[in-house]
This record gives sequence, structure tokens and C-alpha cells, in this order.
Amino acid sequence: MLFEGLSSSQALILTVPATDSGVVTLSAPVLNDLGPPPASGSSQYAAYASAVATQNKQLMYWWLDRMVLSQNPLPERMTWFWHGHWATSLGKVRYALPTYQQNQTFRRYALANFSDMANAMVLDGALLLWLDANLNVKKAPNENLAREFMELFTLGVGNFTESDVRAVAKGFTGYRVVPSSGVVSLSPLLHESSTIQFLGTTGSFDATSIATYIVSLAACEAFIAARLWFRFFDSANPQPDTSIANAFATRDTAGAVNAMVHHPALADPRHAQAKSPVEWFVGACRALGLQPSRLSGRDFILNALGNLAQVPFYPPNVGGWPDGQGWLNTASAQYRLALTHFVVAQGSLAPVESLSPRARPDGLAMWLGVDVWSWRTLQVLEAVQDDPVTLTTLALNAPEYVVNA
Amino acid sequence: MTENFSRRQFLKLTGAGALAGATQLSLGDVALAAKNRPLPARVPIVVIVTLYGGNDGLNTVVPYLDSIYYSSRPSMSVAQNAVLPLGDGLGLNGSMGAFASLWNAGQLAIVRGVSYPNPSLSHFTSMAIWQSGSPAVPLSSGWIGRWLDTQAHDPMLAISLSSVLPPLMAGVRQSGSVLPVSGLTLPTGASESSYRQLATTLANDGPLQRAATLALLDLLSISAATSGAMSRPVPPPVNPTLVNVTSSSLSTQLDVVAKLISANAPTRVWEVSLGGFDTHADEVSQQSALVGEVATSVARFLSQINGTPHANDVTVMVYSEFGRRVAANASLGTDHGTSAPVFLAGNLKAGGFYGDQPSLSQLVQNNLMVTTDFRDIYGAVLEDLLGTPVAKILPNWSTKLPLFKPYPVAPISAKPPKRRGHG
Repeated sequence: MLFEGLSSSQALILTVPATDSGVVTLSAPVLNDLGPPPASGSSQYAAYASAVATQNKQLMYWWLDRMVLSQNPLPERMTWFWHGHWATSLGKVRYALPTYQQNQTFRRYALANFSDMANAMVLDGALLLWLDANLNVKKAPNENLAREFMELFTLGVGNFTESDVRAVAKGFTGYRVVPSSGVVSLSPLLHESSTIQFLGTTGSFDATSIATYIVSLAACEAFIAARLWFRFFDSANPQPDTSIANAFATRDTAGAVNAMVHHPALADPRHAQAKSPVEWFVGACRALGLQPSRLSGRDFILNALGNLAQVPFYPPNVGGWPDGQGWLNTASAQYRLALTHFVVAQGSLAPVESLSPRARPDGLAMWLGVDVWSWRTLQVLEAVQDDPVTLTTLALNAPEYVVNA
Repeated sequence: MTENFSRRQFLKLTGAGALAGATQLSLGDVALAAKNRPLPARVPIVVIVTLYGGNDGLNTVVPYLDSIYYSSRPSMSVAQNAVLPLGDGLGLNGSMGAFASLWNAGQLAIVRGVSYPNPSLSHFTSMAIWQSGSPAVPLSSGWIGRWLDTQAHDPMLAISLSSVLPPLMAGVRQSGSVLPVSGLTLPTGASESSYRQLATTLANDGPLQRAATLALLDLLSISAATSGAMSRPVPPPVNPTLVNVTSSSLSTQLDVVAKLISANAPTRVWEVSLGGFDTHADEVSQQSALVGEVATSVARFLSQINGTPHANDVTVMVYSEFGRRVAANASLGTDHGTSAPVFLAGNLKAGGFYGDQPSLSQLVQNNLMVTTDFRDIYGAVLEDLLGTPVAKILPNWSTKLPLFKPYPVAPISAKPPKRRGHG
């Protein structure tokens, strides 16, 4: 359970065993290459489309299960961060197989060297499908991948020019992706191998040498540090110092995370984040001992997350998920309530029921990972402490649970 | 404290827990529900339509007499015989017949060449600039949000039909509400009074916790205020040619807006949106279908409103974060560009063209010049429709286009906001 980790030291947070004991029994999704689609009017088309949909759904439940069952939340949390960073939507990629491979890449490099990760990502089938790499050819480069690689993945806006976009797009030309398998190959005839000039360098480049060079630039340090700050600490106020960026000088993500763990702002409640819908849902399932794929009427979950505008593998655009305040609105308040009723009805309330009514509000804070309830929330919870269902329902919607401060 | 310190660190990094926070403004009482204070007729209502992805202005309002247009995009232009001529050598994409009818009736204004100085080609930067209304200084609040800040707290004043609050409606003191197309309902279970109590803002709530309490409180009041209207039928379009149109994502959102306007909801600003405009590849059929959906849905919506007491009150504004590159790419699409037309439909001083059409022979780095600053449109909306001086909302801006008959004074929410606690 999560609360066993609450007394963890900083060192323990960063200790990541080779295998995650929580997910050893969780089997990987069974995904096979479905091949090219049959003609849309043909008799095989319906079966094919249904196989695509089945694999996609399997993939979504697999990740939700994994996030809930993990005993080492940090690598899973970082995998989620990278998913929002290299935001790629299954809506356009269409196939689960390349999307799953991308997710495994995020997990493999979750705390590893960022330059290695960027090298893997510029050859990632799902990312290349998402950013039109199949259309990027020597004869007429398509700028989509080049622009987003610099703007959203490595350097940030203002650290490159339009001329850099055009040059890098040329260097990225010629990579072909098989959509159903995500297999990437380089077609030399379609690749621009003549000299290009960008960001202070000149030469003949391919995708990985571009990635290595761009990630080595100083702007990458500050940019990735800012993204980590934005997602983990505060999306409204900038970071007060360069300690995370300094720790990222070697492009070691574990180093940057270590700096985050030791950052004084972590203890400062002025830097707060709203839980995103998936974080909120995963936290509720962990507390209630629920495995999402095994819930009765489980499709309610995907519908609810859809209404909350955060379905895993379907970020709204290449910029990733919205920031904190966007999740705090009238519609999300309603859908969160509906999802609460769904999970509380199936969850185990034993940890609450086993306490005397008077001890339950404080016990719930511990159980849900809330530091302390405000007097407002405490009054509400104390009034219903005899009723574990209502008590848990209200607690999951309390401002102290909805927002991480 | 050490215990809390490391626990809090753990929770933040693993995505689990929380704590209460800094001093902030507290909210006043929630405004009365819609039925208790219906919006009177003749009060202007603004409907903002956001097109996400960067709509190709040149294939929307087509310079069909300019040979450079055709030579720049040989296989992905709109043919001369397919455009709906407007004059000045410009014509609407053939899918936009519904807008051509509005144009002929003097109910459509097309502002040409709209963007801002040194346009950004980034979706995110450019959309942030349009929604914040501040090209020079990055602001986290939106232009409608800052207008809301000048009004008494009222969750009904500005409503977006989306799942996530668009930045344009984020204010410093209060933000717009979000209403999904299916409407809002409070689930049964925990009693309403418990939720209402949970929605109390404390003086020491941080900004996000305050936002969480406001969202819950606004849900309680807005679901009560709109539930009656949501169950009513959609008002029928007055124009018979717009009765049987295929429903679409945009028309479904606008149906909800039409219902609530016809129920006299005290809402001054609505926002709806449509995505899919980032046409890097195979643009022509997709983009035509999308702008056709925009034209048909907006015309149908105005025709629905024409049968209500608010017939002359509604103005629709349609914008996107940028236009697209003049020349096609090799994927039969276009890459990110700069200026593009903005449409205003409905309650106007006069229809027609505003601003100059950017020349195709005088490009800036292969992109169209900017001839009109979007803040001149916002200025007109803010001053003439929302009754608030533009300088109070847009940093260092004071001008506006003469698009609307000025509406004299701020008509509702004259009461100053109540404050509790200390700031």
C-alpha cells in the first residue's frame, strides 16, 4: 500500500529495484502486428477495425493497472511525465503496438540519460507517425517533427529560429514507418544528406546525430528543468533557482529528479499542483485496493476519463496535458463526483471501517496521502464519520485531495 | 516536521497527496441562479468560436483572381469555379454557402490579415497570445478572464462548452465556467449540503485549492440554474434551409448555447471550439469540410437565436491561432503560417470587409504580412459589446475596429464584488 511508503526517506524514494514487485503478476498486453488495413468497404474491414479497437482498449487498461499496482511509483510517475512530454496520441497513430513500444521506451529511459532517450525517440515509430515523418522527404520537407522536436521536446520556444526549423526538417527527411508495427527504416533516396546549417553547426546529419547535438545545447538543460518544475511543482510560477538544471548538466534524468527530491520548494505549499484526472483516479484505486481492468462495468472508467479530458495514450495535442487550473472546473468537478461513486461502490473500505468513527477523518488523510485536512473539510468529514461510503466519497473530492500542495 | 517534509516530497513525486496553503482572496456569495435574474433582451452576447490547429485562411477566403495563389499551391487550391465570390477578388470556400448567405444579408464581417506583431509559428505560443490578448508580455490570465475580474463573482457570466477551461476564460480573481454538452447534474449520494460546505473557500487556501472549491460551488449553482433549460428542446432555426443540417461537433455545442440563450441565461460570453485544422497533409477535403461545418453551424445557430427575444443581441467571433504557409508542402498540405481572416457574424454595425488583404507578392519569410492586429477586434468586443474600456483589459492597447454599434454601459453585475477574509 502507498502509505507504507509515506515514512520513506529521500534515499528510499530514489531507490528503484530492478523489478517492481507490484506488477510481476500483471501480464503484458498481447499485441500483434495487424498489418495494413483491408479496403474500407470490404468484408474483412469490420473485423480488422474491431481488432484495432480491442488492442487499444487492452493497452489502456494495462497501463492503468500498472500505475495502480506499481510498488515503486517514481519510475511509473516519470513514465507518465515522459508520456506527457513526448505527447503522442493513439488517435492518430491508430495502432496499439507502436504505442506500447513507445511506452516501454518511456519506462526504459524514465530515469536514464536524456540524450539516449532523445536518440531513441527520433526513431520511435509512434512519434514519427504522429508528426508526419512519413511525409517528410528530401524533395519537400515537412516541418512538423523538426519544429516540435526543438520547441516542445528539447529546447523550448525562443531557442531556435525558423531557419533552424527548415534545416532540421531536412536532416529528418527519409525515415519511413510501417504504421501497424512501428518499424522504422531510413530510405537513403528520400534523405537529405547534403550539408545543413542549424543552431551553430554545419554538416551532414541524420536523425540521431541531430538529436545528440540539439540535446547537448545549453538551452536543453534549462528547458527540461522547467518542464519538470512545471509538472511536479508548480505550473503557475517559475522555478526560483537553477538547481534542477544544474543537476541535469550531464543529461542524467535521475540526477535532475534527485535535485527535485532535495529541492526546498517541495516542502513549500505555495507551490501546488492540481491532480490530473489520471493521477486522481490512480490514487483513488490504490487507496481502495482496486485494479481498474477488473472492475465491474469497467468501460465507465474510460468514459469518465474521456469526459475529464485525460485518457491515457490520447493527449489532446503534441503539447501534452493541460496544466493544473484547467482540471479545476465545473465539468471536472461533476465527472470526478460520478467517478468517485463508481470506485467507492466497488472499493474496499476496510481500512476506514476498521477505525472507530472518531478516528476515521484523520485515518482517511493518512490513507489517501493527504498531509492534513483543513478545518472546512474536517467539519464536513466529522459530520458523516459514521458512514464510511459517504465519508470516503467526500474525502476524495475535498480540495486537499484534489490539489497536491 | 521532518516527517511531513519527506512525506510531502514523496507525495509530490509519486502523485498522491496534499496540504493547505497560502493566503488568497476569498469568494463572495454565489450569484443568484439564472431563472431569478434573466438576461434582458438587447444586452449583447458574445459567442467565441476557437478553431484549434491553425486554419488555412487562404483556402477559407480565397484570393481566386490572384495567379500567385494558384502557382503557390498547384494541387491544393480551391478552383475558381468552386468559390463563392464576395468582391475584391476574394471568395469563400465552396463549402461555406451558409456564410455567403449571411454575407449577402449584411450579417457577416470578414477582418482580413489578422495576427499580431512578429507572429509566432508555434501552436502553443500563438494560441496563448490570442487567448491572453497580450503579444508583448506573457500573461497567464485570458482576455475574457480579465473582463470577468471586473465583474461581480458569477459562474454564469462566461461559459465554455468544453472539458477543460480554455485559458482565455481564466481570470485572476474569477474564471469562466465549463459546461459539457450533456449538461451538468449533481450525482446523488452525499448530501448537497455536505458538498456546499466542502465548497467553502478558506482565507488560507492556495490559488488551486480556491479554484477547486469554486469549481464545486459553481457546479452546485450552475447545474441548478441550467438543468431546466437543458431539458428543453433546441430552438428551431427560423431559416428553413438550415433546419435539416447534419449535426456536428460544433453544432452540438452551439445547440446547447442556443437553448440557454433562449432560456435567458445571464451569460455574456460563450466559447465553443473545433479542432483538426493542423492540415500538414492532404488538406483540401479535410479543411473544406471543417470550414463548411463552421459556416453551417454558425449560420444555423444565428437562425435559432432569431426566433428568440435575443434575436439582435448575439455576435459570433471565429478565430484560429494562425493561418498557414502560402506555398503548399509536398504532402498536399501547408505548414504553419501567420495572418488569417477573422469572422464576425450576427449583430454588427455593417457587414463586409475590414482590414487589408495581405499581398501574395510581398511575403515575409514566405508568410503573409499582418495587416490587422487582433486586439482591434478584441477592443471592439470589450468596449462595444461588453461595455468595458479596452485599456483596462488589454495591456497598452486603446484602439478598436468600428464593427459594432456601441452598447452604452455595463448593464448587469453593477454590484462590486464582495470579499471575505484578507488578501
